[in-house]
Amino acid sequence: MARRVPTSRKWLVTIAAWAIGFLIFFPILWTILTSFKTEAEAIASPPSFLFFDWTLDSYREVQSRSNYFLHFYNSVIISLGSTLLGLVIAIPAAWSMAFVPAKRTKDVLMWMLSTKMLPPVGVLIPIYLLFRDFGLLDSRFGLVIVLTLINLPIIVWMLFTYFREIPGEILEAARMDGATLWAEIVHVLTPMAVPGIASTLLLNVILAWNEAFWTLNLTAAKAAPLTAFIASYSSPEGLFYAKLSAASTMAIAPILILGWFSQKQLVRGLTFGAVK
Amino acid sequence: MSSKRPNQLFRNLNAKIASVPMILTAMVVFFGGTIWTIVYSFTNSKLLPREKWVGFDQYERLWNTNRWLISIENLLIYGILSMVFSLVIGFVLAALLDQKIRFENTFRSIMLYPYALSFIVTGLVWQWLLNPDLGIPKVVRALGWESFDFDPLYNADIVIYGILIAGLWQGTGLIMCLMLAGMRGIDEDIWKASRVDGIPAWKTYIFIVIPMMRPVFITTLVIIASGLVRVYDLVVAQTGGGPGIASEVPAKYVYDMMFLGQNLGQGFAASTMMLITVAIILIPWAYLEFGGKRRG
Repeated sequence: MARRVPTSRKWLVTIAAWAIGFLIFFPILWTILTSFKTEAEAIASPPSFLFFDWTLDSYREVQSRSNYFLHFYNSVIISLGSTLLGLVIAIPAAWSMAFVPAKRTKDVLMWMLSTKMLPPVGVLIPIYLLFRDFGLLDSRFGLVIVLTLINLPIIVWMLFTYFREIPGEILEAARMDGATLWAEIVHVLTPMAVPGIASTLLLNVILAWNEAFWTLNLTAAKAAPLTAFIASYSSPEGLFYAKLSAASTMAIAPILILGWFSQKQLVRGLTFGAVK
Repeated sequence: MSSKRPNQLFRNLNAKIASVPMILTAMVVFFGGTIWTIVYSFTNSKLLPREKWVGFDQYERLWNTNRWLISIENLLIYGILSMVFSLVIGFVLAALLDQKIRFENTFRSIMLYPYALSFIVTGLVWQWLLNPDLGIPKVVRALGWESFDFDPLYNADIVIYGILIAGLWQGTGLIMCLMLAGMRGIDEDIWKASRVDGIPAWKTYIFIVIPMMRPVFITTLVIIASGLVRVYDLVVAQTGGGPGIASEVPAKYVYDMMFLGQNLGQGFAASTMMLITVAIILIPWAYLEFGGKRRG
């Protein structure tokens, strides 16, 4: 199916594309490099690209001032917890929408997705007050709940698009053999949809990992995830770029590594299943 | 197709029960929270919500506040420009990639990396890259272009463009991937036919490929629009709304009113305005796209 493209032009395009790719990647690379510099070198002019004294001082400094591992642990619990809870709620919903569509299924989906476009500040105060009354402020459990609610529409939508590709006859056959609804969803549908569920999982872990609005507003110290950790380095120490870079690198490294080893799921997930 | 299934009523009942948790949660949070916010926007709540009704006073004050007007203007500029640039740059990059370059998968992942980062990180990194004494402006000047003075973060007139650059950096890779997927979905025979007819490639793109990619464009527009909601994170990390109030956005206005200004009523009124705006844009679009012609 490939369109014929002359080899010389292909290389030209490849080089151009990679130049753009490098340009796009440069800010991330620069942050990582700067995290290994001293504060003086970080703001040196002209900046040194690779030839400087590599040092881990900034990392040591950051770790001594704030507990990276606590925030890392919080991020992991919150993003994984909210995604798994979301999947538990979303799988039955997506199942019903994909295999037993009603007249209004499409409308419900649209309406649900449209809530993603509403400004979250609109519901901040009600949720804040609820959290205060239930003692959920600055708790991991509270954040898990909020992030589940926030990302649920996306989880349902993505699972719906994956489920739709699974032939309904297979489920039908399982049903004929006497499978209960529970068995149908847990033992037949879910194993078949593993690639789709994996992409959904990855996307939502990333979204929850990066979520800043709710995590910054609903946590103080105990349950604060990595987004709050970086944010704390931005304001009072605005000028210490090496430390800021070290904190940023520590916060984004898990995502970069996770993304690199699951590129296929990453692309599928981030493009909401549009790219296979 | 569902009508031919056995146990119609029973299956549908199950289906309804299966989606109840989802609908319930969405209802309680978004519907409940939104109504609550709208109701209390007609009160003069200060530090805590209270039922002292003042009619449209909060709205009158809101539209007489300079900071709110600046916020609206910024969001408009950011919204329109980010839509135009994301679509154009995303499309051009996708067309470039559609030539089947080498190591395409790796390239695609790299382009998607910025999108996988938190807006907080993006904001901080670009705050630094655009810093006139440290970042790109300095490098450009050092390279000999002495009069280069694009210092968006310290110039109230153009600060919103500095935020736009960071926003584009974050989001364009995703748009590109979506567009590429759309292009790949187009039948190769169309390309062959247009080549046989001697139509230049750029014309084929504009007059044949783009119209065929309509669904992809709609998806990307929805994604860009939902990104506008998140511009709050970016502004907070990159400029904090400054210099002065030059880069304020509506979400930040709401937030500051509620938590710093201790003026809940004003914050509720502002967020109600935002909700109404979203509704005004969404409802006609949803109607056109899904209501008018019911496609299966």
